[in-house]
Amino acid sequence: MTTGKSWIACVPAAVLVVLLTGGAPAQEAPRFGGVLQAAMIGEPPTLDTHTTTATIAYQVGWHMFESLYTLDKNYAPIPMLAESHTVTDGGRRYTIALRKGVRFHNGKELTAADALASVSRWGRLHTTGKTVWKIVEAAEAKDPHTLVIHLKEPSGSLLYALASPYLAIYPKSVADAAGDAPIKEYVGTGPFRFVEHKPDRHIKVARFKEYAARPEAPNGVGGKRIAYVDEILFMPVPDVAVRLAGIEAGEYHFAQSPKQDQYDRLKANPRLGLDIVKLGAWITAAPNHKEGVMSNKKVRQAMQAVLDMEPIMSAAVGHKAFYRLDGALYFPEQALWHSPTGVTGYNLRNKDRARALLREAGYSGQPVRWITTKEYEYMYNSALVARQQMEEVGFKVDLQVLDWATLVQRRGKPDLWDIFTTGITFSPDPALTSNLQCNWPGWWCHEEKERLLGELVRESDPKKRRAIVERIQAVFYEDVGRIKMGDFFSLLITRDLKGFEPSPFLHFWNAGIVK
Amino acid sequence: MKTYLLRRALAIIPVMLVVATVSFVLIRLAPGDPASVLAGPDATTEDLAQLRTALGMDQPLPVQLVKWYARLAQGDLGQSIFLRRPVVQAVVERLEPTLLLTLWGTVLSILIGVPAGIVSARYHNTAVDQSFMALALLGLSIPNFLLGLLMILVFGVWLGWLPVSGYVPLDEGVWRNLRSLLMPAVSLGLVQSALVARITRSSMLDVLREQYILSSRAKGLSERAVVYKHALKNAIIPTLTVIGITVALLIGGAVIIETVFNIPGVGRLIISAVLRRDYPVVQGVVLLIALTYTVINLLVDLAYLVIDPRIRYTG
Repeated sequence: MTTGKSWIACVPAAVLVVLLTGGAPAQEAPRFGGVLQAAMIGEPPTLDTHTTTATIAYQVGWHMFESLYTLDKNYAPIPMLAESHTVTDGGRRYTIALRKGVRFHNGKELTAADALASVSRWGRLHTTGKTVWKIVEAAEAKDPHTLVIHLKEPSGSLLYALASPYLAIYPKSVADAAGDAPIKEYVGTGPFRFVEHKPDRHIKVARFKEYAARPEAPNGVGGKRIAYVDEILFMPVPDVAVRLAGIEAGEYHFAQSPKQDQYDRLKANPRLGLDIVKLGAWITAAPNHKEGVMSNKKVRQAMQAVLDMEPIMSAAVGHKAFYRLDGALYFPEQALWHSPTGVTGYNLRNKDRARALLREAGYSGQPVRWITTKEYEYMYNSALVARQQMEEVGFKVDLQVLDWATLVQRRGKPDLWDIFTTGITFSPDPALTSNLQCNWPGWWCHEEKERLLGELVRESDPKKRRAIVERIQAVFYEDVGRIKMGDFFSLLITRDLKGFEPSPFLHFWNAGIVK
Repeated sequence: MKTYLLRRALAIIPVMLVVATVSFVLIRLAPGDPASVLAGPDATTEDLAQLRTALGMDQPLPVQLVKWYARLAQGDLGQSIFLRRPVVQAVVERLEPTLLLTLWGTVLSILIGVPAGIVSARYHNTAVDQSFMALALLGLSIPNFLLGLLMILVFGVWLGWLPVSGYVPLDEGVWRNLRSLLMPAVSLGLVQSALVARITRSSMLDVLREQYILSSRAKGLSERAVVYKHALKNAIIPTLTVIGITVALLIGGAVIIETVFNIPGVGRLIISAVLRRDYPVVQGVVLLIALTYTVINLLVDLAYLVIDPRIRYTG
């Protein structure tokens, strides 16, 4: 019987396979040539990704620069400029062999000295780099193609860190000439080379003819990268209506971050390619654990108990296709870390329990100062609905609307607020998740959680790491570290592009222009 | 006359000093700073402090202000933090689209506004007058960005006749340049032409009631000669003032229109500089715009001399 059942179960799977592969044109390689015009939300603050955490900087930059490792389709690290590595000394010594014959855009061959200069500069300047570099004892170029990194203690995070899209490998001369200031020459090993930057017009990159592609098939953002288009123009188009009008009129091949409420209208246009990227971010309300009314655990638990996430997410995001109710700390798309275990306090919708908890806490109507912003509509809208739900059980919420820059400034000061809203973006390595750290605004410092995070950093076996993540989730919900409201997705629009891979990591290699 | 010119020229200096100080203080009152923009949203406070030191922004404000005065005295507007070039160079690179946009906007507003005003005055209180003035009222009420967006939708997206956005520099072809500027110039000029039309009409009406117009009609001059030769010359002075103001307004409007049409001009430069908190650029551009305004004012005052020989400036 069992075999029969599983045989039947295979039918839909087989149909699915036929359907998927039936989209035969997708298997054909895109043609070479043309200029890809990408309408971006703005101008990167700098192209030197060692000095910034702005996403748009790497989205443009990594067409020119590559890192030692990158992420596969499961968001796990795989070699990029590295060939392979060995781990010795009980997990403390990483010997990384670099690929041979990889050339920079200036014609020079990549050596371990270049890798060392860039990795050290990133560890000195970049926000994530600095976190990781704390565990690095020393790094050295053992020979022209071998980089050795000694750690103070074993770490499962090193390879993830080396796969950061911000960790560009520059020639040693470029890294040294810049020092701590932004680099002056844009020279990398990527499939595209820098041509020109005309501020507020475009950043132009062109195919690098001597690019040394990896031999493996594309896998996530790794594997073989091919520059099908001759040039890419990254054009800053800050007005969302203009980006949309431009792609509808056929002036752009890509429009970044359109409004989700346009989805149904745009779907009707057969020339546009619409992709929903589900791996994006989750909305959170972060309570202040250090000072004020929310530092009382029972009050936090009361808030957790009352919230009904469906109306909150619906108000925040708008279109049903763009949000998901899920309480796990990592996304279902991150198969390695996503788990329902430990998710005990999500979407409880229990008013009685909330009232009881408030009574136990001795809450007597002290105003909960919630700071949010209208600059990101989802932040204000989610806070507004949550406030209403909280006030139904006796909370008094003082919703303060600030501009984003002021909010960021204020959230660093514990005496000024009790809750703030933000979006938590996806992090490939759970140990590097910034919002779980004790010094992140909200100051959620919890003995058990800190111990587990420490274990997570040291552990490199994915299975054991996953078990630690589950235990962290349990603490997250028991202590109400933050309130997770739900996942929200982003929309990508393309036109006449073939081979474009919708990914949370925007890239245009392997994509060609149709027509 | 010479003393007058000298006095007017000297008066520019205190104005510039006030503008320099105000722009310096205002942009720094806004939350955020170049370091936080450069470093991105996830940067820690320590990262920011490190970057501020690298950018030389850790000095006290009065010290920075005095340094800024000192550089200004030498005619140096400083270096852009993000564009990695002198502010003057950044502005010069952006002048072409803004100048052409303002030029075409002004030309359009004159070409539409002045004749419309004259015709309305000549056919005062007729259906022609009323429909022109109704149109002018509509024109004054529509914000130029809305007109711009509507035109993008109709001529760019639906009809596909004109490019939706972007700018083609002159050296890539005059025709392509004109095409890229047509919609922005119309959305700027059309709105301003309404103002020009209303002023031309009312000052024409005033002049047409004058005694000397009556006498020119009495001596048998054709209506054409009366209106275009005798009346217009006197009526045009208030219009000229308005055109002067219009040019100034157009520079302000260009800030918005350049954003709507994605034109890399001075307007976009200042908008992105404000958003990026690129202090030197904001200060420099505000100063240059203020200078342009004062110079245009001076030029308008001097233009009166040419048009109306009765006007004389004395020291």
